[in-house]
Formats: sequence, C-alpha cells, structure tokens
Amino acid sequence: MIPSHVLNMVVFAGLVAVFFAFLTQNKARDRARVIVVLGGAMVVLSLIVAYVMYPFPLAR
Amino acid sequence: MDEPVPASHPEPAERSAPIEPSEPAERPRRNALLPCVLAWALPGLGHLSLGRTARAVAFFVVVTATFGLGLASGGTASVVDPQQPLSYLATFDNLALGPLDLVGRSVSLGGLVYRLPEEESNPQRQAVMNRMRDRVRLPTYEYGSTFLLTAGLMNILLILDAFDIARGRKD
Repeated sequence: MIPSHVLNMVVFAGLVAVFFAFLTQNKARDRARVIVVLGGAMVVLSLIVAYVMYPFPLAR
Repeated sequence: MDEPVPASHPEPAERSAPIEPSEPAERPRRNALLPCVLAWALPGLGHLSLGRTARAVAFFVVVTATFGLGLASGGTASVVDPQQPLSYLATFDNLALGPLDLVGRSVSLGGLVYRLPEEESNPQRQAVMNRMRDRVRLPTYEYGSTFLLTAGLMNILLILDAFDIARGRKD
C-alpha cells in the first residue's frame, strides 16, 4: 500500500508511461522519450488541474 | 487564345498514368488465436510466443505490478450489479486479466463472485457487501480499484496488439 497521494500518482503515471512506450515504440531511445514526455505530462497536468480546482469548495 | 503545348511536354494521357505503388513488405501472417489466448492467460505471454521477448518481459512486469499494487492498496474486483449498468463494463475489464482475476477476486471478495445477488436478504450478498465495505474504508481504496481497472485495460490492449502482430499489421 502506498499511503501518499502524490506517490500513488507518480507510480501510476510511470507504469502507464512505460507500458505505452513499449507498446508504441521499437527503439530504446524512442521509448525513453515517451516515458519522459508521457509520464511527465501526466504528473504535471494533474498538478495543474489540482491547483486550478483548489479554490472550489466541496459540495455539502 | 490557347497556347500551343510544347512538343516536349507529356501528353495528358501520359501525365495521368497511375504510378505503380511499390509492393509493401511482406509480413508473415500467423494464426492469431493462440497469441491472443496466451496474452489473456498471462500478460506478455502472447508477445513471447511471437518472439517479442523484451516487450513480453516489460509488459509482464508492468501489468502484474499494476495489478499487485491495486490489490495491495485495497482495490476490489468488480461484480455485476444489475442496478449499475457500468458494473458490466468494469467486470468485463477485470475478466480481461485472465487467471490473475481469480486471484484478485479471491483476495478482495473472499471467493469467485461475479454477480451480486439481487435479494437484500441473501447471505452471500451480505458477505460480499461486508467484505467490500471493509475495503472501501481503506484510504487507498480508490487508488487500488483504479490500478486494478488499469491493469485490465492494459491487458486488453496487449491482446489486441498480439492480434495485430500475428496478422502482420505491426512489427
């Protein structure tokens, strides 16, 4: 069990990025690029969305 | 006034003559059923049977890690609930993991339960619901269930990828 929310997100992004890198690319260099770009994009975009949603209160 | 066409200019018929497309490289076409079944039985096994060893190892590690993390985080295998139509899709997604789904169901639900009994007083329904409530209380339950569903989706893509490779549509 991973108790940290951020670590869960990073691990998830990493696994998905590695999966799609091997699914779509044949060369090691291309796979590394997909892992960095896709994994990084998932993490960064999630943080941006979380930051944008921060001012909105939960419905009560 | 139309200008005369220069003698060296090709005739319209020649200009519109179709260019012969180059022959596509021949790829071997194999029986796609066996790789698909193997891919369903164990993540990466379909690719291993097609000679893609590095991919097979990577897919096995990634999918089983996703599945294991999901189960360890309190994720629960989905069961069909007629009152929730999306539960059919989620259950189908879990079933795409093949025998791994049996492990997931046994650990998370305490048995091979695929359909939630409709009668509220059914003891099996009570047992399954109690088991699910225990897991829902875990702080990482949502993460776990997402990991489990993602592992199933990954294996569906692997089955389709093995089909494409076997049919010669992909290297």
